[in-house]
Amino acid sequence: MSDWRNSPSAEDWTIDELMIARLADCFADGDQACNGMASFVPVSAFWLARLTHAPDLVWLAGAVGLEPRPDRVPASTLEAPLWRDSIMYVEQYGDFWNFALNGRWLTKFCVGAAQLDRYGNGNNSVIGADYHNPRVRLPGTAGLGDMGSIGKSLYYWNPNHNPRSLVEKVDFVSCAGYLGGGSERADAGLEGGPELVITNLCVMDFHPDTRHMQVASLHPSVTFEQVQEATGFELPAPEGPIPTTTVPTAEQVRLIRDVIDPDNMRRREFGG
Amino acid sequence: MSAEKLSTLEDAAALVRDGDTVAIQNMATQAAPMALVRELIRQGRQDLGVVCLVGGISVDWLAAAGAMNRLIGAAVSMEQFGLCQRYRKAVEAGVIRVEELSETALNARLGAGARNLPFLPTRGLIGTDLIDVNDNLVMLDDPFGGPSVVACKALVPDVALVHAHKADRFGNIGYEPTALWPDLGIMPKAATTVIVTAEEIVDSEVLRANPDRTVLPGFMVDAVVEAPFGAHPTSFSPRYGYDTAMHLEWIGAARDDEAVAAFMEKYVTGPPDHAAYLETVGGAERQAALTNWEAS
Repeated sequence: MSDWRNSPSAEDWTIDELMIARLADCFADGDQACNGMASFVPVSAFWLARLTHAPDLVWLAGAVGLEPRPDRVPASTLEAPLWRDSIMYVEQYGDFWNFALNGRWLTKFCVGAAQLDRYGNGNNSVIGADYHNPRVRLPGTAGLGDMGSIGKSLYYWNPNHNPRSLVEKVDFVSCAGYLGGGSERADAGLEGGPELVITNLCVMDFHPDTRHMQVASLHPSVTFEQVQEATGFELPAPEGPIPTTTVPTAEQVRLIRDVIDPDNMRRREFGG
Repeated sequence: MSAEKLSTLEDAAALVRDGDTVAIQNMATQAAPMALVRELIRQGRQDLGVVCLVGGISVDWLAAAGAMNRLIGAAVSMEQFGLCQRYRKAVEAGVIRVEELSETALNARLGAGARNLPFLPTRGLIGTDLIDVNDNLVMLDDPFGGPSVVACKALVPDVALVHAHKADRFGNIGYEPTALWPDLGIMPKAATTVIVTAEEIVDSEVLRANPDRTVLPGFMVDAVVEAPFGAHPTSFSPRYGYDTAMHLEWIGAARDDEAVAAFMEKYVTGPPDHAAYLETVGGAERQAALTNWEAS
């Protein structure tokens, strides 16, 4: 067990490490976490949580391998090297979705979306006005179209905060957030919903009444104006000073660099 | 006495007709029945509808060959190797029509198909636009008074294509310990015809030693074909990993029409059969390297 409680703030942290540390905060002992494709930040965050504050966080790698013991983050987060030494292979058709749909388990889900709008709706389907004649065909909703509608708390991660990925209104809703804002999600009979958006510039949450995305903390040396410029919709003006995001500790940085991801796979998500 | 199901790749692929809806086992870079996919392209099959959970290079090659005009699935991506560019281009050009489903909606459509039900419901997708663009999904009041659900119309693929570790000549299919995706759990059970390629054809006694590893019974399998490295260039755990070099070569070619034609000729339509394909991609030496995926 590492001495993470007494570790001072790191001096040479990088943005990927900050995002991983803050996403790790969202997961606690007693939670179950699963990951999908190209999910280096969530995988590193689950792993970091397990090595520090949440040793009993259950990890279902690739939504298939229970409690795996990979020796490092591999080049794919949806291939067998990630779920090496699992204690169980969870059959996907029957078991995984039984657990995910039941409501008792896997209550938090990390989402990466090509487009995310001010009410936390996600789009991984098409860019363009006409679904059947898209300007750009995106990969598809996969499990997001389910996770947005079945009562999960959603944690969006976005390593490339820009006006193309954070938009006023998504071209197509393939993951249900707060829909048109306010009580629309609840009115549609949906529980849960987006909790946080962790980007390379800031952490955002959602106003409890309007459900509009708002800045919760700015990463060190980032200004509100910079965030606004990189965002495709108008952010609510801050009512007072915005807190600065806590940076990772020296021990968290060491664990990420030396133990979890020595091959820097997490960097692949940045700069896209 | 059970019926013989042993077939050749050529004869098995000939069970697929132009226009068929074909369910293909595939998970980004994993476990696709690639020998069958190549043979379908070699035979010039056209107007196929492809059903997959997460399509990968199989879908991109079928799109490149002009063999498909519709897709029913949850995603198409080669993960670390990026989007499937030929598929994407064909969708954007209006050549391939996409019925995009969430995972539970695809499972529900296939599950209803397998059980001869008109539909099965899901709670996924509510609030998304995916319901509005799809006639096979309809909001339905709960007859017992609870919240509404999404009725997902039964889907019965004409054919399911599956790759396995072991099979006997009667079509009993054995799997070694590995992740089990819905492709195997539900697709073959919904489909009218089931074609399986296996890394090796074994004596039935081998399957009897571990009956809990038999995943499909011979009575529902129509043809079984021996195809070692039959999932190449996708991975087939625990036997071999995905071929990084070949995926990279493909994405390098995929943006350019001439490079795509040359690639397809060299690897897919050029080699007359599966054995010739395996030689073309590097033979025993390449296979040994991929077998050692744990070390990579």
